[in-house]
Amino acid sequence: MWKTIASFLPDWLIIIQSLIIFLIPYFIWRFFIYIRERANIATIKQESENSQENTCNFTGNLNSDLKFIKKEIGHNSDVHFREFNIGNTGIHAVIIFIEGLSDKDLIDKYIMKSLMIDFSNENISAFMTEEGFNNIIKQQVLSISDVTNTQNLNDLVMKVLQGSTALYIDGSADVFILGTTKGKTRSIEEPISEALVRGPRVGFTEKLSENTAILRQQGNIKSLSFIKFQVGKRGNKDLVVAYIKDLANPDLIHEIEKRIKKIDIDYLPESGYVEQLIEDNYLSIFPQLQSTERPDRVISALMEGRVAILLDGTPFALIAPVTFSMLLQSPEDYYERWIPSTLIRLLRFLAAFIALLVPALYISFISFQPGLIPTKLAISIVGSREGVPFTVLLEALIMEVSIEILREAGLRLPKPIGPAMGIVGGLIIGEAAVNAGIVSPIMVIVVALTAISSFAIPEYNAGISLRVLRFMAMFCAAIFGLYGVILFCLFLCSHLVKLKSFGIPYASPAVPFNLNDWKDFIIRVPLMMMKRRPKMMKTKNSIRQK
Amino acid sequence: MIKSEEKITTTQAIVIVTNFILATGILTLPRTSVEKVKTPDVWITVILGGLIMIIAAIIMVKLSQQYPGKTFYQYSQEILGIWIGRFLSILIICYFITVSGFQVRSMAEVTNFFLLESTPLWAITMPFMWIGLYLVFGGINTIARMFEIIFPITLFFFILVLFMSFKLFEIDNLRPVLGDGITPVLKGIPATILAYTGPEIMLLLVAFMQQPSKAVKVVIIGTVIPMIFYVFLVVMVIGALSIEGVVVRTWPSIDLIRSFEMSGLIFERYESILLVIWIMQIFASFVISYYAASLGLAQLFRIKFNKIGFILLPIIYIIAMSSNNINELFKLGNMIGNSMWFLFLGLPLFLLLFTKLRGAKS
Repeated sequence: MWKTIASFLPDWLIIIQSLIIFLIPYFIWRFFIYIRERANIATIKQESENSQENTCNFTGNLNSDLKFIKKEIGHNSDVHFREFNIGNTGIHAVIIFIEGLSDKDLIDKYIMKSLMIDFSNENISAFMTEEGFNNIIKQQVLSISDVTNTQNLNDLVMKVLQGSTALYIDGSADVFILGTTKGKTRSIEEPISEALVRGPRVGFTEKLSENTAILRQQGNIKSLSFIKFQVGKRGNKDLVVAYIKDLANPDLIHEIEKRIKKIDIDYLPESGYVEQLIEDNYLSIFPQLQSTERPDRVISALMEGRVAILLDGTPFALIAPVTFSMLLQSPEDYYERWIPSTLIRLLRFLAAFIALLVPALYISFISFQPGLIPTKLAISIVGSREGVPFTVLLEALIMEVSIEILREAGLRLPKPIGPAMGIVGGLIIGEAAVNAGIVSPIMVIVVALTAISSFAIPEYNAGISLRVLRFMAMFCAAIFGLYGVILFCLFLCSHLVKLKSFGIPYASPAVPFNLNDWKDFIIRVPLMMMKRRPKMMKTKNSIRQK
Repeated sequence: MIKSEEKITTTQAIVIVTNFILATGILTLPRTSVEKVKTPDVWITVILGGLIMIIAAIIMVKLSQQYPGKTFYQYSQEILGIWIGRFLSILIICYFITVSGFQVRSMAEVTNFFLLESTPLWAITMPFMWIGLYLVFGGINTIARMFEIIFPITLFFFILVLFMSFKLFEIDNLRPVLGDGITPVLKGIPATILAYTGPEIMLLLVAFMQQPSKAVKVVIIGTVIPMIFYVFLVVMVIGALSIEGVVVRTWPSIDLIRSFEMSGLIFERYESILLVIWIMQIFASFVISYYAASLGLAQLFRIKFNKIGFILLPIIYIIAMSSNNINELFKLGNMIGNSMWFLFLGLPLFLLLFTKLRGAKS
């Protein structure tokens, strides 16, 4: 009887294998959980540390308060303190501003002059109370538009460092903050990273107020709303969330606000920081927010019910949520007529496919399934590989890596040297490598084709992720051949369908299937047929045209 | 955050059912059915088998609709009490585990035979199952989205490849129609049932549907699509290889694709393409049965879903590897097909009648 039972029991080898099949993913899973928990603990710790904030209010005594202020920022060479008397009243006052950041012309003409010379005796009768005095100053003397008050030292310092001018009048704890900011900006230029043949030649600049103004200029959109946030604990920066009030889904805006408020970092040099701090899955290779320099792109995204995030100090705005198909689209698809745009879109999908899978398919065909391709081609490939000492994978890696190095090198070269390096790198090395017998000519064709295809993807960061994935695909193909490629595709698809960007499935509109949204996916139907906003965005008002 | 529905749409439900059905049957159905029928009327058998499955599926749907928002694992305890309900649920969980093991093994066998000849089975199986686990963790919505990607790709390629074999087709191989009467046709029906495993997922799926009232429509469309495809397949295979040719081949469908070449195109032979696409289809079947089993265990024993996923992994692997050769694997397949009569035709019918009678009483 034992024998019959034993014959049904699995072999010990199978039991060991089944342990392996359990343990490997289990440890990977535990590892990722561990990473995630660590990240959470770190943020909780930071939150508890940053709870205290010093509130230091003014007393109204100029001399003692000035000492305070000087202690805080007086050691800087670019901070100017100008003490004077108001008119002929003998009241002592001081203005504080930063050289270069504040508009000196404005300060001289409309603040100093008004306070020192234009201030006439006739008003003295109204000086009876402190409040009255401040009111007169604000309402009759200072002829500039942006005037606020503060009683807090930190606030004052913050504002002055941003270019405002502080006006402290002896006897009043209420300090005027005068908007005299005149930062350095550049003129509006065509965005270099997203050049178009047809479309507006306007790009964002580094100044937030100018960027919001550019967005306002895009058409008189009454419900275009901007919410301002302060981000960065040490280096404070403005961040604006832009959306269209009667279109964007309130849940989405709420979620974005929540995530931005969670940002707890010293300083944000670029919107890439915001992107990485608020994205859904930082372990994913795909970009979950779209960055763009083009105001027209931002506005059309807003019109679809999406939300834009603009940060001071960078021309790159972020668009959320984003789907994978958006990364293969260009604004030009809508500006050109629908037939060419559709074909170009198909071409881009093809390019994405080539950039991702062609080297892997090449490897699997040559080293595993040569019977699949036409016999003549197989013979010529094998013939051309004669004398190549490496395996197909190594051969492909040599070429792919050198192309990647070439691209990385070309990225940062000064413009006049760029083409020269392209010739040296692409033509000479490619030619020489074939002649030297390191790689086969067909390999060079494959690599060049994938490199060109990855340039055809309009979004730079999507291109990068495809480049990385290509190497993964190549390794899978080298291990399992065509089966490895299909496993890779299954894994990639599983990841894509799992991923979400702010609650929107990343793979939409492909899946979940939605006929309405397919009008603007692989093909771009004529504009008069696109009557609804994307359904996946769940906008408040879905009708685009009647 | 825009809340994505935790429920699945009607289209997604159809795609899930279809994807579950189309699996190993694509490669084996022509042989298993011809072995039993032995006349060219196999296509009638296939249609009849599909119709029986539709009836069974409608019964299962009707049963599930009595308990909105609940899966079989939950309502079976309500109908028959905790212990009998649990026992039945465990039977069905075992069924799903066996099915997923069967899918994995047949995938590994076919891959080993046609694509990777010297690669050991465990090396083929393990990455496949891990990816399945990764997808199962995403829940029913993610699985549904994945199936929506797999479904159009596979169906397109299958039909394309079948059409390419049209020049081998000879109508004489299909004649005479009903030459031996209806008896052999009826005899073959049990053999076709294995190819139709899939609609039983409705026992769970109805609970996740946005519109459970459309579930009947789902099973009808979801079963008719594979039925048409199977009929087409059987007709093409028999038409090209003839009855005698089909019986002697282990994988007649692949042999059909192997027997022609197209020159002047990028590819010359298509069986590898077909296999690669078929692997995606098997992956779909494997994942959904894996999900069904893990969901059942999670709901029965109130264990976290993720943990169950890990625990099931070695169990499915052992079941997949329990067959020593391909014939034992086919035997296992037959066992699955036979158990369906009881689990998914008899049992749901009994439960449905029981519920109705009890409802009438009270």
